[in-house]
Amino acid sequence: MLSRDFIGFSLSSVMAHRTRSILTTMGIAVGIAAVVLLTSIGEGVNRFVLAEFTQFGTNIVAINPGKVTTFGAPTGVFNTVRPLSLEDSDALNKIPYVTSVVPVVQGNAEVEGQGRTRRTMVYGVGSQFPGAFKFGVAAGGFLPDDDPRAPRAYAVLGSKLKNELFGEANALGERIRVGGDRYRVVGYMQSKGQVLGFDLDDTVYIPAARALDLFGREGLMEIDVLYAEGAPAEEVVAGVNRVLISRHGGEDFTVTTQQQMLDVLGSVLGVLTFAVGALGGISLLVGGVGILTIMIIAVRERTSEIGLLRALGATRQQILRVFLGEAVILSALGGLMGLALGIGGAWLLHFLIPAMPVHTPVSYILMAEAMAVVIGLAAGVTPARRAAAMEPLEALRAE
Amino acid sequence: MITLEGINRIFQVGDQQVHALDDINLTIQPGEYLSLMGPSGSGKSTLLNILGLLDKPTSGRYLLEGREITSLSDDEQATVRGEKIGFVFQFFHLVPRMSAFENVELPLVLAGMAPSVRRERVNVILEQLGLMDRAHHRPDQLSGGQRQRIAIARATIMKPSLLLADEPTGNLDSRSGTDVVEVLEKLNAGGITLVVVTHDGQVGKRAGRRLRMVDGAIVKDERG
Amino acid sequence: MRPGDTARFAAQSLIRARGRTLLMLLAMSIGVSAVVILTGLGEGARRFVTGEFASLGTNLVIVMPGRSETTGGAAALMAGETPRDLTVDDYLALTRNPLVSLAAPVMVGAAGAARGRLEREISVVGTTSEFLKIRHLSMDRGKFLPSGDPSRAVNVCVIGEKIKQELFGKEQALGEWLRLGDRRFRVIGVLATGGRSIGVDIQELVVIPVASAQALFNSPGLFRILVEARSREVMPRLQDQIRSTIAERHQGEEDVTVVTQDAVLATFDNILQALTFTVGGIGAISLAVAGILIMNIMLVAVSQRTREIGLLKAVGATRAQVTTLFLSEAVLLALLGGLLGLFFGYLGTTAIHGVYPDMDSQAPLWAVLAAVGVSSLTGLVFGIMPARQAAALEPVEALNG
Ligand SMILES: Nc1ncnc2c1ncn2[C@@H]1O[C@H](COP(=O)(O)OP(=O)(O)OP(=O)(O)O)[C@@H](O)[C@H]1O
Ligand SMILES: [Mg+2]
Repeated sequence: MLSRDFIGFSLSSVMAHRTRSILTTMGIAVGIAAVVLLTSIGEGVNRFVLAEFTQFGTNIVAINPGKVTTFGAPTGVFNTVRPLSLEDSDALNKIPYVTSVVPVVQGNAEVEGQGRTRRTMVYGVGSQFPGAFKFGVAAGGFLPDDDPRAPRAYAVLGSKLKNELFGEANALGERIRVGGDRYRVVGYMQSKGQVLGFDLDDTVYIPAARALDLFGREGLMEIDVLYAEGAPAEEVVAGVNRVLISRHGGEDFTVTTQQQMLDVLGSVLGVLTFAVGALGGISLLVGGVGILTIMIIAVRERTSEIGLLRALGATRQQILRVFLGEAVILSALGGLMGLALGIGGAWLLHFLIPAMPVHTPVSYILMAEAMAVVIGLAAGVTPARRAAAMEPLEALRAE
Repeated sequence: MITLEGINRIFQVGDQQVHALDDINLTIQPGEYLSLMGPSGSGKSTLLNILGLLDKPTSGRYLLEGREITSLSDDEQATVRGEKIGFVFQFFHLVPRMSAFENVELPLVLAGMAPSVRRERVNVILEQLGLMDRAHHRPDQLSGGQRQRIAIARATIMKPSLLLADEPTGNLDSRSGTDVVEVLEKLNAGGITLVVVTHDGQVGKRAGRRLRMVDGAIVKDERG
Repeated sequence: MRPGDTARFAAQSLIRARGRTLLMLLAMSIGVSAVVILTGLGEGARRFVTGEFASLGTNLVIVMPGRSETTGGAAALMAGETPRDLTVDDYLALTRNPLVSLAAPVMVGAAGAARGRLEREISVVGTTSEFLKIRHLSMDRGKFLPSGDPSRAVNVCVIGEKIKQELFGKEQALGEWLRLGDRRFRVIGVLATGGRSIGVDIQELVVIPVASAQALFNSPGLFRILVEARSREVMPRLQDQIRSTIAERHQGEEDVTVVTQDAVLATFDNILQALTFTVGGIGAISLAVAGILIMNIMLVAVSQRTREIGLLKAVGATRAQVTTLFLSEAVLLALLGGLLGLFFGYLGTTAIHGVYPDMDSQAPLWAVLAAVGVSSLTGLVFGIMPARQAAALEPVEALNG
């Protein structure tokens, strides 16, 4: 029997019971639509979060004091007995491939300017900060490349802080106070918006050494090392380890590459997407039971037809394939319908709630359709085998 | 040529045994025209089904064209059925969702023949049976006689050497019954071996060789 | 027709088509048990978290250094440093407030811990004797930190069970010395296991007096001050007073964030509730699929039982009676499937509870009622079309069909 005749044969029985076939198909369609829609949302969120992270570039290595991360946060925020110093930061500049090194101290303080005050985040950083993190300066310049141990009291404002303190007025050259100390504004940044809930515009940047003084800290919270595009991350990490171990006499710091972070994040989000998809899969399971039921009914109803086919010389194998084909056609059609529903739903969702990130990769579409077909096969096997096992004479007698 | 040697068929119903065929010995020459008559329950259908490889004898040998058939595998038997044997049933057994054309085409489809060849052969046979104008009607849109002629077309489309008919006129009025018998006889004249089970004496009489069965045994075998 | 007869009639037809009835029950019960198990898990997680918070005391007020005007409390959690530290003196000032029943300063950090040749990096908490009571911890052996002047550094420490195992093994730990950073501390107690509170594993902790921690980390800044109010009623007032007390001490600058345990709890509660709802909803999609299946099978049944319907009508059954008959069949199916699903769901949640005793994964009542309600409703809704189709059959046609 030619394969297209198999398909034609199965299709003709699917078409013969139109209502029944449509309803069966709908069961699978709802399941596939649920899976596609949910994984689309999952994947959309996944991409959104990864994009939030990668906007700072992927060739960054972060160094935190202390050997482990405690309380799930980088140790830098908490106390540690082994500080990272500005000198450490300086020394890292000489490692091959490294293009910039940014020491980071972060805190919270009151900023005063034009008679207005506002509590904001304070970042103590180095002059290479904007280049490393792809932050743009809107006016003036960033912090100058002073002696890191004795930098001048210059400050750069985040766009929101600038607006809160100075409004539309020019802020360049104005004096402000950060935590009581006097600074001169040398520039302000372009808006960066919120990243994962943190407002990157409500900030002030000051030299790291001054931030250490301000907060009475001994050591930096983090050192970020940017390396050349395409350079081997392992070599950079090895370089960091070599330099810092020789300076500290032991490995009392933690090195994390951006890629590691992204990998961990990506796999966590991937698992989440999968879990959500699996929840939708429950409906698919029920849809599969639907196909099973309908196919069992079909085999029972068409017993005498099976007998006839056998009398006309059909082998058991052929009978098996005809009924399996029918189940697969039902589920594949359901899958297509579900894809349309799911993708349409995802699109609609994005249309109604633009903030909702959705994305349906082609691979998911193919996988969903393949899943539908597999369900059809699984649900069709038992009825089809039952049909194939029938004795021709008994089947012919049935009415 | 067909040879049956010592064929027995025993049905087990609960703890009771029904001896449906009792030591049948029979030789059928190619191109013969047999009728098979006898009271209800005498084993006519059982014998026909064994001849058509739809049923297996409990004991005995069945040689079809010199080949031992009973020991063939399930699939091999199916192939023999498809290529060498045609069936005509009392209740037609047409697939209700398929047109007359598609029903006739079915054996060719199962044999894996190309669509263009199929179309030609089906058209030829429908032409011969005068059913060309009914080709695209479904069975429920046809009369009983037409349905049975479609069933005959289907049974013979593979050019089998043996045609088995179990009460082919049993569900028809006498006019269409005669029509159907004439079609069968025409095929027999073309060289096909024909075995017809019937309760109708008029139909039975027309055969060149007439068998009579009682209680699972052949009690009369007349020729001429 | 009496309702009892209708039910019997429906049940008979279901029993006659046993195979497909079982499959439909299976489909419906998958849907219902999915809802029950998923909401059970969500509810279990919610109860777990709520329980953890509740064990910390609901009268708890948390004082954190730093305050941000844009993002409020959340940013303060990550605020890190402030020019003016939250100090032990601030803590002492708060203890003088009459609305406060207990308070403890908390300083956290990481340090290398060593005993002999064994060494590992360890989370260190610097606090006072009140910490034990506020965090509802208990001792396995020995004593907790002694009470007394918090600004006096005493070189004693209390360790978690896991630290004890890793650094001391089966040996006696009490009275032994442990090196943290460049200082030595005498172990005076081991914390009881089982205490696991919100992300911090008590078993992997070393607790030292707050003044010792200040010296160890060479910093005066506290990470938190935990304050327990005398009663729930005074909490809003207490929050205000804490803010003003600290501001007074910090030259009028309000540079701390004061949150109540309840506020944090409510946030978690809302998130988990929403999660439970969503997950239950996703499970409920499968109920709709099961409904479609029931409709499909009932339509098949109507076409297969055309003759039976014709006969019923011929002997005087009204349209309404035929409708009721088929509708009862659909509803009966859905209801039985729902109950079966409840049973499976119950088995599932019990199994989960068996594997994770911490998870009290009972499906909430609303979810159980909704699942059974929705399943019966789907039976009704999806049963209507087939039932009407049956009722609409003409008796003569039906008899001949
Ligand atoms: N599958 C079966 N199981 C049990 N007994 C059977 C079976 N098939 C046939 N028989 C029995 O075998 C005997 C012969 O049956 P068969 O159908 O061959 O009779 P028949 O001559 O064709 O009768 P009719 O003229 O009524 O069609 C009968 O007694 C019948 O009851
Ligand atoms: Mg018979």
